[in-house]
Amino acid sequence: MELALQIGLIATSVLLILLVLLHRGRGGGLSSLFGGGMQSSLSGSSVVEKNLDRATLVVGVIWLICIIGLGLLIKIA
Amino acid sequence: MLGAFRSALATPDLRKKILFTLGIIVLYRVGALLPSPGVSYPNVQKCIANVQQDGIYSLLNLFSGGALLQLSVFALGIMPYITASIIIQLLTVVIPRFEQLKKEGQAGQGKLTQYTRYLTIALAILQATGIVALADRGQLFGECQDDIIPGDKIFTLILIVITMTAGTAVIMWLGELITERGIGNGMSLLMFVNIAARIPYEGKIIWDKGPITFTVICLFGLAIIASVVFMEQGQRRIPVQYAKRMIGRRMYGGTSTYLPLKVNQAGVIPVIFASSLLYLPDLISRLIGGSQDSGWQRFIQQYLVQQDSWVHILVYFALIIFFTYFYITITFNVNERAEEMRKFGGFIPGIRPGRPTSEYLNFVLQRITLPGSIYLGIIAILPNFFLSVTGTGNNQNFPFGGTAVLIMVGVGLDTVKQIESQLMQRNYEGFLR
Repeated sequence: MELALQIGLIATSVLLILLVLLHRGRGGGLSSLFGGGMQSSLSGSSVVEKNLDRATLVVGVIWLICIIGLGLLIKIA
Repeated sequence: MLGAFRSALATPDLRKKILFTLGIIVLYRVGALLPSPGVSYPNVQKCIANVQQDGIYSLLNLFSGGALLQLSVFALGIMPYITASIIIQLLTVVIPRFEQLKKEGQAGQGKLTQYTRYLTIALAILQATGIVALADRGQLFGECQDDIIPGDKIFTLILIVITMTAGTAVIMWLGELITERGIGNGMSLLMFVNIAARIPYEGKIIWDKGPITFTVICLFGLAIIASVVFMEQGQRRIPVQYAKRMIGRRMYGGTSTYLPLKVNQAGVIPVIFASSLLYLPDLISRLIGGSQDSGWQRFIQQYLVQQDSWVHILVYFALIIFFTYFYITITFNVNERAEEMRKFGGFIPGIRPGRPTSEYLNFVLQRITLPGSIYLGIIAILPNFFLSVTGTGNNQNFPFGGTAVLIMVGVGLDTVKQIESQLMQRNYEGFLR
């Protein structure tokens, strides 16, 4: 059980990193980080982005479940 | 004041945006409290209670909202992203290709952002490995003896590193979601949340010193916040006159506007630069030897790490002033600005376009930056004088001074401005219909 969760966690983690990197970056870097940036243009998100969002969300939830599950296992043990 | 809040919540799309932002913030805080798998939560809590935090992690810990020392899933916070942005920003000066990308406008900027994201993941892996290694060797908390990561299998360690890296990626995504669909800049909002989350804890430490101290410090903090708002809003308006010109059938220009030069053009970035640079000697001395006995290590401990020593304060102050000038020279390109103005038929009254304009801009900028940099330095070193009051040694976490207040005020102002502009949009729309 624990091993399965751990393997699942590793798999989802790697997948999650890849999925997030696939997104188009928003925000204009450092200058807008601490105030003083212009508001970005209001271009709507494309279909690709939307599907990516969904996939990221699903993987993220699985990732979270794995972490919580492992935490519970440690607590019980 | 309250009326603005009500109208902000009464506007449907704005309300949706604000709620979305709040939801993401809640998610983020939950992640920051969730311990990584394999980390013993009770032992970590015991160690945190035992150990006085020392200098080297205080800034990192501040930016992660206390998540770092708890080794939670979001332990790294947004620090990797900030570091990556700073590195990329500095590289635009060094690498010609990056400079070209920056000039290309939206598309080039997008590419730079993408590089920043890749670099963030790389840095996250590095930092996670470093922290997990430290925790595994029991050095994260100094002399705390409890086993933070029980079951020292290498597999567990790798698992934690991967989880933390994925956590950083998730934070990046959350920040971008806020930027895209919420209010304000996501990354800076998350940083704001991190700092704000520590205020109750720090407040309790001060409260324990007695209610009078607490009141005085609160009043003092309010005064500092007010003065920071004052300085952040301060700007010199250089008048610019635009010539009238025809494009097609429409007349453009002919107006006189101004070019705003802020007193503190650089924001908090010089402070972040300076403090990360100041922690380097300590880091090196720790990495080289465990024994703090050789002469130079003792020197570092006594003069650079001790935050109430005069050497530390002076060096910090000087570094901040230096980095303010440095950063402004990098980000605010005077020649470019003058060139742009000339292209669109603008000029500063009494000064010829082209080189004289850029020289004038440079002159004004250099002069206005001097009070700006001194102000930054003073705000940043203020908490060092309060060490006897807060007494925890982690002065940068002191909520009413230093980096924390600068960031909070900066981000707060920015976010409120964005909400206001959205409200304005809405009202104009209603007005026109």
